[in-house]
Amino acid sequence: MLRLAVSLLLALPLLAASGCAAVKPWERDVLARPDMAWEPDTLEAKRNSHIRYSKEASLPGGGAGGGGCGCN
Amino acid sequence: MSNCARRHRRKARSRAARRRAQRRRRDTLAALTAGALAVPGLAGPAAAEGLIDRVGADYNFSRYSEGKISSSKVAVGSERGRYDIDMHQVRFATPIADRFDLGLDIVHESMSGATPWYVIPGDDGKPVQVMTGATIEDKRTDALLEGRYYMDRAQASLNGGVSFEKDYFAVNGGLGGQLELNENNTTLSSGLGVSIDSIDPVDTDEYPLRPDHEKKQTYSAFAGISQVLRRNIAVQSTLTYQLGRGFLSDPYKQALVEGEPFADSRPDLRHQIAWLSRYRHHFSSVSASFHANYQFYWDDWSITAHSFEVAWYQSLFEAFRLIPSVRYYSQGKADFYAPYYEQPRADGLYSSDYRLSPYGAISWRIRAETRFRTWRLDWLASFSWERYLSSGSYAMQKVSAANPGLVNYDLFSVGLTTRF
Repeated sequence: MLRLAVSLLLALPLLAASGCAAVKPWERDVLARPDMAWEPDTLEAKRNSHIRYSKEASLPGGGAGGGGCGCN
Repeated sequence: MSNCARRHRRKARSRAARRRAQRRRRDTLAALTAGALAVPGLAGPAAAEGLIDRVGADYNFSRYSEGKISSSKVAVGSERGRYDIDMHQVRFATPIADRFDLGLDIVHESMSGATPWYVIPGDDGKPVQVMTGATIEDKRTDALLEGRYYMDRAQASLNGGVSFEKDYFAVNGGLGGQLELNENNTTLSSGLGVSIDSIDPVDTDEYPLRPDHEKKQTYSAFAGISQVLRRNIAVQSTLTYQLGRGFLSDPYKQALVEGEPFADSRPDLRHQIAWLSRYRHHFSSVSASFHANYQFYWDDWSITAHSFEVAWYQSLFEAFRLIPSVRYYSQGKADFYAPYYEQPRADGLYSSDYRLSPYGAISWRIRAETRFRTWRLDWLASFSWERYLSSGSYAMQKVSAANPGLVNYDLFSVGLTTRF
């Protein structure tokens, strides 16, 4: 399982760096849709990260910082 | 009307026309800039997705309710009810200048109920949970201010915040940056964060195992890459590292060692790594977007974890959207974790916290949102419900004795967003 995870993780940046077809600024109407954002709802994303950080051992990825809590 | 008055009126009309033309040019530029910056390939891992061109206010109310612990998993006479949390979130964001915006996030939570305290062996040898009394009442307020400065091909951000509870205080800060390359199809992002926390547990006279005062510090850093693959596909991969040092134990939990209660005792250093990869794909033919996230997690307490999440953003009619999503999570155990200890450990580390135990979790969520315009404002109203279930049997690996305190919860949420 670990090997599969590492393979997937390595595959993504390689895919990104593989020189995909450049999308011109005037072709970005679809990418600019709210439902294509990494986090379409900022408050919901922060709340979910906070709950998972409080209730699971793992770290919410994708950023740095934020205050700790005495969450039980 | 005198000639002088007519000249003044002509000049005033001319000035007003120039101002209207300037405003139109500025609005057009802002819309184009916001559109370009709002695309995923240009947005970093942080919450903000691009230059804010309008003043915005968001409000969200959530009710988090943990399910009662099963009677077969709780010690005789112990509380079965668990934690409830009401959470209010407010966000204000405004452009300050052509290239600068400011955002303020405030969170207020009210918590009440009982939480897992320690684990004892049951009559059949299986571990059972002893809960705290249902007397915990606490409130938490968190405020975070963030400023972002946008350059032609880059952006920089600075943030600072505080979080305080009756028994906890944290001050935190961070900075980040983004750089766009490859005709803005590739974005590199990175950032640093620090949190200085102070812990002052309550009722230490009644519970002598609780410490009086402790401190901890958390330092984090991330680096990520976003790539536009096609007009309708983007991917992102982000590596986050966090170092925790100081008091990393839970002052309100205990472990049973040779039948005697012992304070929860964890190492005072923790290295954590999370690698998050995200995929976004829009299907114009059915007016829907597919989201997939995968995260691999590792720390030097021997915990590894995997989480998979998929969501389907289905647009219906012009202004309505339905979003079902599913998440699977599985983690291993910390090397010093045990439900209870029959022998003392040489390193003196003990924790029976279910959050360090091996388990898996499945959650699903449905969200509905609608856009509308009234009082000359654009609004977005949303409602969501999530159910989260965890169990030893859901884990990827075989779990011989699951922690009896594993949590199930429901989360209801309503939100309202407006742009001025």
